[in-house]
Amino acid sequence: MSGVCVHVRIADEHYAVPVEHVLEVAKLGDWTVVPGASRWLLGVINRDGQVLPLVDLAQLLGTRSTGRPACLLVVEDGERRAGLAVDEIINVRPVPARIEATESKLLSRAALVEGVLVGMLEIGLVLDEAADCDGDGHGH
Amino acid sequence: MGTGMAIDGELLETFREETSERLDRIVQTLLAIETQGADPELISTLFRDAHSIKGNAGMLGFGEAQEIAHAMEDVIQTAAASGSLATGLINPLLAAGDAIRDVVAGATGLAPETVAALRAESAHATVPVPAASPDIAPHNGHQTEPNPTAETDDRTAAVVEASATDAPIDRAGSHGPNETSKPGGPRSIRVEAGKVDRLLDVVGETVLHRRRLDHLLKGGTSSGEGVEEELDHGELLLDELQRSVTRMRTLPLGSITGTYPRAVRDLAASAGKQVRLTMTGTDTQLDRLMLDGISETIVHLVRNSVSHGIETPARRIAAGKPEIGQLELRAEARGEWVAVSVRDDGNGVSPALLARGRERGSLSEVLAEAGMSTAAEVTELSGRGVGLDAVKRHVESLGGSVEVESEPGLGTSVTLLLPLMLSLVRLLLIESRGQMFGVPLANAIEVLQIGHTLSLAGRQSIDLRGESVPVRNVSEALGGAASEGGSHAVIVSASGRRVALTCDGILDEYEVVVKSLGPLLTGLPGYLGAAILADARIALILDPAVLVQGQASAASEAVADQPRRQRLKVLVVDDQLTVRELERSILETAGYSVVTAEDGRAALDVLHRDAEVALVLTDIEMPNVTGLELLAAIRAAPERPSLPVVVVTSRGDAEDRRLGAQAGADAYVVKSEFAQEGLLKIVRRLIDP
Repeated sequence: MSGVCVHVRIADEHYAVPVEHVLEVAKLGDWTVVPGASRWLLGVINRDGQVLPLVDLAQLLGTRSTGRPACLLVVEDGERRAGLAVDEIINVRPVPARIEATESKLLSRAALVEGVLVGMLEIGLVLDEAADCDGDGHGH
Repeated sequence: MGTGMAIDGELLETFREETSERLDRIVQTLLAIETQGADPELISTLFRDAHSIKGNAGMLGFGEAQEIAHAMEDVIQTAAASGSLATGLINPLLAAGDAIRDVVAGATGLAPETVAALRAESAHATVPVPAASPDIAPHNGHQTEPNPTAETDDRTAAVVEASATDAPIDRAGSHGPNETSKPGGPRSIRVEAGKVDRLLDVVGETVLHRRRLDHLLKGGTSSGEGVEEELDHGELLLDELQRSVTRMRTLPLGSITGTYPRAVRDLAASAGKQVRLTMTGTDTQLDRLMLDGISETIVHLVRNSVSHGIETPARRIAAGKPEIGQLELRAEARGEWVAVSVRDDGNGVSPALLARGRERGSLSEVLAEAGMSTAAEVTELSGRGVGLDAVKRHVESLGGSVEVESEPGLGTSVTLLLPLMLSLVRLLLIESRGQMFGVPLANAIEVLQIGHTLSLAGRQSIDLRGESVPVRNVSEALGGAASEGGSHAVIVSASGRRVALTCDGILDEYEVVVKSLGPLLTGLPGYLGAAILADARIALILDPAVLVQGQASAASEAVADQPRRQRLKVLVVDDQLTVRELERSILETAGYSVVTAEDGRAALDVLHRDAEVALVLTDIEMPNVTGLELLAAIRAAPERPSLPVVVVTSRGDAEDRRLGAQAGADAYVVKSEFAQEGLLKIVRRLIDP
């Protein structure tokens, strides 16, 4: 792990995804809703002919949702690929090693970056949770 | 096509295949006659093939082919009467066969010359030749002996030599344009002209696209937006090109199964068994590479079923089973897989093997180790050396898997699960709340406007020609809440159930590559996958099996239980597949349910089993039990002596009619005048007034 992360904003919260997991960042276009799917999924999107699930990170993390997400982060964990819907892509930079406490099981840790609390997303767990069809309970 | 009847491509393909097979046999028979002499059996085989081609060609509107076959029939009939066939006739007959092949492949203007050559030769052919021609093989020591069993190796020479008659023949035995579709044949494919045209269209459009780009860039006014738009368009064109080429690589499963019915019949006959082969889903499209890969495997499984699975008639009867064994080849799309299964109702595998299979959790693995044979002895027919282990290895190398199910005494079913990968699915695209959904066309029975709906226990249904069909919108069918549906509906049918799926619009048919919804969405019921449309939007492909299930099936069943008119069932009896399928398609389109039998004996079996048959439509000339014998048997049986029977005659000759009337036929249809309306009118008059 290089410790370099893509920093994103969801509502007024900040998260970071290790660059090793990130394939692509882009503007989020339209998506196709999949009736019956877990509510963590906004739907599916077409990236270069591949159909990818689009994860509603705001719902999954239980942040206050603020309208339509504008940006897309395509992530990969082993064989699994998915798009993460976020409000803003901020920048790419290392996350300090100093660890702050966090209770979310979707985060490997949290760090304070210039006075902002940044959650490090554990992509494997995010995808596990998003695939959970019953979709009960908010992000625990 | 001169019949004015809508003939679907599949039927035409069946006709082509059958005709091609018969023409192959005509060549073989003629060559056999030439070398072995004109055995009455061979002449009658020749006659039957020519006769069948004539009948089929007539029905499907291949007038020229019909004319040529008719002339052949005449010539052969004369030969049959004299008990011999003049050698001089062999070449014109071979030439006539070639001409029919060409006509069926699209050639025209061949009939007059071909027929004239035949008739001319027939007129002065006076040399009765019960033997191989004595002057055929100069290097052959037996040449001077008029010995009927002369070396068969000389038949090529014989043909070339004998072509001194003016018949335009230099390729006796050539297989013509169908050659390429034979398994194991040369590595080339036959592509429908329409597919190439489509490809050319896209190429043309791509050339224009390039010019427009050129123009935009050199025109100085290059606004980035215009270029970008043009580039986007280019991307769509590339997609389309890719799709067109992929389409060229796909063929229906039917392209390799065309010869199976005969192969099975022959195999069964030589093993002293009776086997009825049914094939469903042969229109399932598979990548050509995949087809090539599995063709031999399927043949192997079919052979196994016939030689090892299905018992002899005596044993079947002793086991309390019907005399005729059932062999089913079925192909269907199953999510991201195509399942091709071969099922027989034979003796199954031994209980010991089954137990070992349960222990190991996989019957196919146990059988692969044991060798596929489920019978004790290995016969010549079973394709020795290729056991289930080879099948399994091969299918796995293609990315697929093998499932085996068996029940001792009741039969075995082997299913090859092949990756869909490049397989194409034809979809009906519908729109619901601004989104596109696809319903596999095979399951979309019809589209209609929703008018008056019926309600019971809060569930809506419609009256579809006397049957109550539940109404659901897309979200409801996928387990969401019921809500106001659109005014359009697609009748979706699966597993014998139907549902009217409402939507806001019905768009188009579309042929697509099925894409996976990805690992996060596997296990989500209701979808077969997704398709990417030309405008890059995604259409979710709905799973018909889930759509028809519904949430409150109990409630909808209550609605369905209301008295309703049954679909009337017609039994179609004919020994020719083309005829059976033509009749079936006409009747089914008119709303009848159809069962078929390939001769009178099979028809009696069906009637014995199935009390719902309301009418029998039968050919006269058939092997085993003929149409007239069938008719007599029906009239003599205590169960339903007055069952309406319509006789289909190929010649419409007075003698047939008289015999039919005597045996108690209710009506006639003449094959050569076979027309949709005529047939339906008669059927309606008799059972559906």
